[in-house]
Amino acid sequence: MLRLYIASLIFYLGLLFSSAAGATENILRVLAWPGYADGDVVKTFETRFHAKVEVTLVDSDEALWDKMHSGTVPQFDVLAANTVEIQRYTHESLLTPLDLSQLPNTQRQLPRFRALSSIGGLIDAGKIYAIPFTYSSMGLIYDRKQIPLAPHSMSALWDPQYKGKVLAFNSAQHNFSFTALAMGYANPFQLSPAQIKLVTQKMIATRRNLLTYYNLPEEATELFVQHKAALMFGNYGTQQMTSLRLAGADVGYVIPDEGALAWLDCWAMTRSVVNRALALDWINFMLEPSVSGLLTQRQGLANTLTVSLESSDTGHIVWLQPVEDIQNREALWSRIVSGDRPESF
Amino acid sequence: MRLGLSLKLTVLLACTGILASGLTGYYAYQANRAMLVNEAERSLLTSTELLSQRLSTAVSDVAADVFVLADLQSSPKIVQLDSGFADEQAKDRVAQAFANFIHHHPEYLQIRLISRQRSGLELVRVDRDGNRAVRVLDASLQEKSQFPYVFETLALTPGGVYVSPITVNHEHGAHSAEGRAALRVATPVVSESGAAVGVLVIDVDLASLLKLLQIDLPGDYQVYLANEWGDFLVHPDVSKTFGFDKGRRIFMQDSFVSTTDLFEQTKSSVILNGMEQPQQAPGQVLAFIRKPFGMSGGKHFIVLGLSKPLADVLAGAKLLGDSIIRMVLIFSVLAIVLAVLCARAVTQPLQILAHAASNFFTEKIVHALPLTRTDEIGILARCFDQMSREIKSRMDLLHHKQHELVHLASHDDLTNLPNRMQFLQTLETAIQDATVSGEQLAVLFIDLDRFKQINDRLGHSAGDSVLVAVAKRLQHVLRGGDMVARLGGDEFVVLIKGPKTTDATTNIATKIMRTLDDELSVNGELLTVGASIGISQFPIDGASAEDLLLNADAAMYAAKADGRHTFMHYHDLVESQKLKAVLSKVAEMEGNKPFLV
Repeated sequence: MLRLYIASLIFYLGLLFSSAAGATENILRVLAWPGYADGDVVKTFETRFHAKVEVTLVDSDEALWDKMHSGTVPQFDVLAANTVEIQRYTHESLLTPLDLSQLPNTQRQLPRFRALSSIGGLIDAGKIYAIPFTYSSMGLIYDRKQIPLAPHSMSALWDPQYKGKVLAFNSAQHNFSFTALAMGYANPFQLSPAQIKLVTQKMIATRRNLLTYYNLPEEATELFVQHKAALMFGNYGTQQMTSLRLAGADVGYVIPDEGALAWLDCWAMTRSVVNRALALDWINFMLEPSVSGLLTQRQGLANTLTVSLESSDTGHIVWLQPVEDIQNREALWSRIVSGDRPESF
Repeated sequence: MRLGLSLKLTVLLACTGILASGLTGYYAYQANRAMLVNEAERSLLTSTELLSQRLSTAVSDVAADVFVLADLQSSPKIVQLDSGFADEQAKDRVAQAFANFIHHHPEYLQIRLISRQRSGLELVRVDRDGNRAVRVLDASLQEKSQFPYVFETLALTPGGVYVSPITVNHEHGAHSAEGRAALRVATPVVSESGAAVGVLVIDVDLASLLKLLQIDLPGDYQVYLANEWGDFLVHPDVSKTFGFDKGRRIFMQDSFVSTTDLFEQTKSSVILNGMEQPQQAPGQVLAFIRKPFGMSGGKHFIVLGLSKPLADVLAGAKLLGDSIIRMVLIFSVLAIVLAVLCARAVTQPLQILAHAASNFFTEKIVHALPLTRTDEIGILARCFDQMSREIKSRMDLLHHKQHELVHLASHDDLTNLPNRMQFLQTLETAIQDATVSGEQLAVLFIDLDRFKQINDRLGHSAGDSVLVAVAKRLQHVLRGGDMVARLGGDEFVVLIKGPKTTDATTNIATKIMRTLDDELSVNGELLTVGASIGISQFPIDGASAEDLLLNADAAMYAAKADGRHTFMHYHDLVESQKLKAVLSKVAEMEGNKPFLV
């Protein structure tokens, strides 16, 4: 009797372990943004790779950071994050290098995205930590009726002829960076105190030329249409074009000659990845034309395989980089937005 | 079986009673809950509408203050003069008025006079700093033309009011206002020529305002507020408010899916409760309404909601539920008692009937049958009673006939004396008794001497009369324990038992001889019938009834041969025959010479 009991106990323990092992083999834990891993896409992957995918969605860099830091090691296998965040996670040793030979679909990417070394933050100590997936540039949106010829410079924002007809985005980091870019500084992300001072003055000049700052995309559309704005800094990029056109605006999108800032979301693998092969399969799967194409179709986001209509492949795009002192930029920005006069800086 | 029916009926009735009271209680409880929730929803909706009206009134009150301050004679003058030639005294007066308003309105965070010129430079600005009103001096004044409350207000016609969306104030150096959720109410300041030359704006603290508005709402009410996109502005969980400000929008439509209708403008109010929508409103009752907000005629709106804990709403139902449970328990006990009584009332008469039926032949009736009842049981009892009477009367008749048959079988129908069969049975029983007790018995075989002549001469009818008369006489002379029977024809037999049988036998035989010698009157003729009697005795003359009867018969023939009208004992006959045998032997031996006795 006792022998039988022990035998059955061993049998059930065996089952338990084998099922646990099976679970770790076939489960992929994905940390992504809305629209990156829609239900149908996940289903296709699960069927093709006989795996189970657990998707956790985040809607801000802060939320992503919190998720990555819940627990002693990341509770995910793969994640999507922009270049700045990837750089932070790499420095924290939270990521595992990727082997490009395991990601054949990278061959389908546009040359700009295959030149990984040209994109800051993806390579560290000669190892590749992330693969570009989707991006959005922050170009200029203009009213084609008021400005028949597309503006070619960011300086249009402080052109007095558009006074009271310009919309800017309420953000410390990007405003400093793009203003510095417009002013011709080589590295708009690492500014010296002297450069900061000059950029600040330029930003006050911009402010005086503005109608207002916007925070939300729908707010931007409403202001643009209601106040017949001529020009707008497109923080949400081409995504904003759809809603503007829906609201009846005849708008164009341009990447100025100085270049446009752009965020670039990439897929990376965490340090605590359980099934490397499956994680690499996922990243490779994300780069399939049918999957990447959905980003453009459904989210209005550019993918890394095809040239988007709004921004040509030739446009000068500056991928976001960590900035020299974010607190300082935010403190100054708060004063600029609030209306402090130039002489007080 | 009887107990079974009673038990079954009790259980059935009790279960029915308990079930009925339980179900009634349950539905009453549910209906009451639904009613309470309904009532709470209505009152919550009313409260929400009231709160929204108060909000409108409060905004109107602020607008009235804005008008008062904008119309201060100094305001347009200051704005017009402020192109480098400021009228400081006028500014001081205006600032003093602003400070007074801030002082009297705890919800006012800032009051400012802003110029259209110089990128919307603030001309007079008084901020709240805790309980103090602080005037912001020249060097710290800021340019505000980029804010909607300036450019939107300047676009208004004189006398118009601008009401901003509710946002978090991020304006640097705004004292108490900084970082607080606020709304701005503004109006253009108009010059003598009618042109809008500046803006007068009051910043109102949302939290203080709502606190004032909901001062008389019950303590368990909680307020929700969302802007026209659904971003929470007020939520019991503060971390869910102004999500757009923190880069993570939190929408009312996501928390309460039903409110989507409000934002799509297909409904003007939505009610939720935790009983019907447990996923959206767990443990709560909520009412939401859409309310136009901002500039008059604009398409902007807010969604205002109030919630109340479902537990508080249902507190009354819980009380009622407790008393319902008590009532159900009491009624259940009552149902059980009634069921027992009822089952008894039904089964007791049945038990009486069953008892009567099972004891039908013993006639031991304990309870009277319920004959007087008018119901089915009464009918059954009466039928049973009638049936039992009928059976009894038939049984009596049957018994009587049986008795008659038995009598006929064992008696002679002419003389009504026991017949031969009956006599032999009685004799055998008497032999058995005598064998045990050692007593003696005697059998007297009586044969009438002149019956044949009487019968031949006077006819059978006369003969029968003689036989009846003889029977009567024989019965008359016998003692109580003795027995006389007719064997057939003119033969009678008598059984004598008891102590001193031998003496009694001779005595009785003598009496019989005598009584039969007495004259009989038959058809007017006096006759003497006479009799010869043979007697055998137990145990000396035979051990069985047949032997005794046979020997008595033999003795009777001997008596008859001896010349009639006498009686003879069998053992005397045997003795005389022995003697004869000896004598004839002697005669043979003496030369066949007959020897005469």
